[in-house]
Amino acid sequence: MDHYLIIARSVTYAQRMQRALARAGVRCQIFRAPRDLTEMGCAYAVRVAVSGLTDALTALHRESLDPVQIFLYQRGLYQEVGR
Amino acid sequence: MIYLDSAATTFQKPSAVEAAMVEALRTMSSPGRGGYPAALAAADAAFDCRNALAELYGLKNPEQVVFTANATHALNIAIKTLVSPGGRVAISGYEHNAVTRPLAALEADVRIAEAPLFQPEAVLESFASLVDGGLEAVICTHVSNVFGFIQPVEAIAALCRTWGVPLIIDDSQAAGVLPLDMAELGAAFIAMPGHKGLYGPQGTGVLLCGSGIQPRTLLEGGTGSLSIQQEMPDFLPDRLEAGTHNMPGIAGLLAGVRYVRRQGMEGICRRERQLTQMAAEELRVLPGVTVYAQPDLHAQTGVLSFTAEGREVEALGQALGERGIAVRAGLHCAPLAHRSAGTLGSGTVRISFSDFNTPEEVSRMVSVVREILS
Repeated sequence: MDHYLIIARSVTYAQRMQRALARAGVRCQIFRAPRDLTEMGCAYAVRVAVSGLTDALTALHRESLDPVQIFLYQRGLYQEVGR
Repeated sequence: MIYLDSAATTFQKPSAVEAAMVEALRTMSSPGRGGYPAALAAADAAFDCRNALAELYGLKNPEQVVFTANATHALNIAIKTLVSPGGRVAISGYEHNAVTRPLAALEADVRIAEAPLFQPEAVLESFASLVDGGLEAVICTHVSNVFGFIQPVEAIAALCRTWGVPLIIDDSQAAGVLPLDMAELGAAFIAMPGHKGLYGPQGTGVLLCGSGIQPRTLLEGGTGSLSIQQEMPDFLPDRLEAGTHNMPGIAGLLAGVRYVRRQGMEGICRRERQLTQMAAEELRVLPGVTVYAQPDLHAQTGVLSFTAEGREVEALGQALGERGIAVRAGLHCAPLAHRSAGTLGSGTVRISFSDFNTPEEVSRMVSVVREILS
């Protein structure tokens, strides 16, 4: 299913993002980021539905949480859409 | 056994601590190392523990909470971040070797804020005469591990803010007993064990890091983040948490912190002070016994030292141990505190309480001391 991956710098940061999104009512899950998406090695990401990205970014911005990178997963491929 | 050595480590723990540790062994692997349920369960427990500690100390960001092996480990990171070899620092006269030995290893220029026991105003005056912009750090224990003396860390923090000097607080004896707000204090670091007043297991410690400081690493290694980069991450907590976490310990610490929050620090402190007051009053009337406490327990928590004329302290401690009373005698790894109080030559017998002690145990301890001395 299509989704966005918001890459975090660490598992703790990803957890902060997850809690912030939950407070904002945005459904998300924590995942290990696919290796080929991360320039510096292991990372965690939060996955949100395509329809949830705007609310997610608003919630993260409100809590001063900065994604490392954002990818869109569509038709079996990841495409970077922001950082 | 009547356990009265909680200043070393609390021996009786809330039952939830043991249960959480067993649960961690059964269900948790390593946080930050995988996306499968056991790794995520570990990550959740670690995060919840950071959050609980952050809330306890008025911090908004749980990333500022770093897990260490003990308070000594945490203090070493703090001290070696701020103090350069030969650098000038001011410390209180009641510091533990966990502070003074790292400073000795750095050959630091250590200025001691000398003050008599149980006189917080004198401690503050002494610091005021030492603190200036040339200091690399001020280091102060919140509560003396030997005498339970509460030092005025809030006022010392204000002094440090005025001069722009970073402050390290050793909260080993106060964590879980006396509240502190790190954001209000503006402290650079607060170090504490997880296994004393926070009721976690041995092998747990915590370093709270102030914002805007890049701590120096004592260990380098895997963090589960930025793996290609060969320098340690520049963000917390990963920067200071190389290697596999002590998950049973962290899960147990979380249960301990939750216990403290449920009981309330004010209530825990009040009960421990009542026991201290009772012990001081009943020991004081024994012939030849000197008790290190003021009548109203001015500036003192649940730690009490005493000596008995003509009795060597280790022998007295041993005799108590043989009769089922666990106390600690000697210098308590704090020769500076003993020097400040004038007990360096003799040492003291120390009794120290937790939330699990009772007045009946105090009465029994006093009765055993009386029996030994008679």
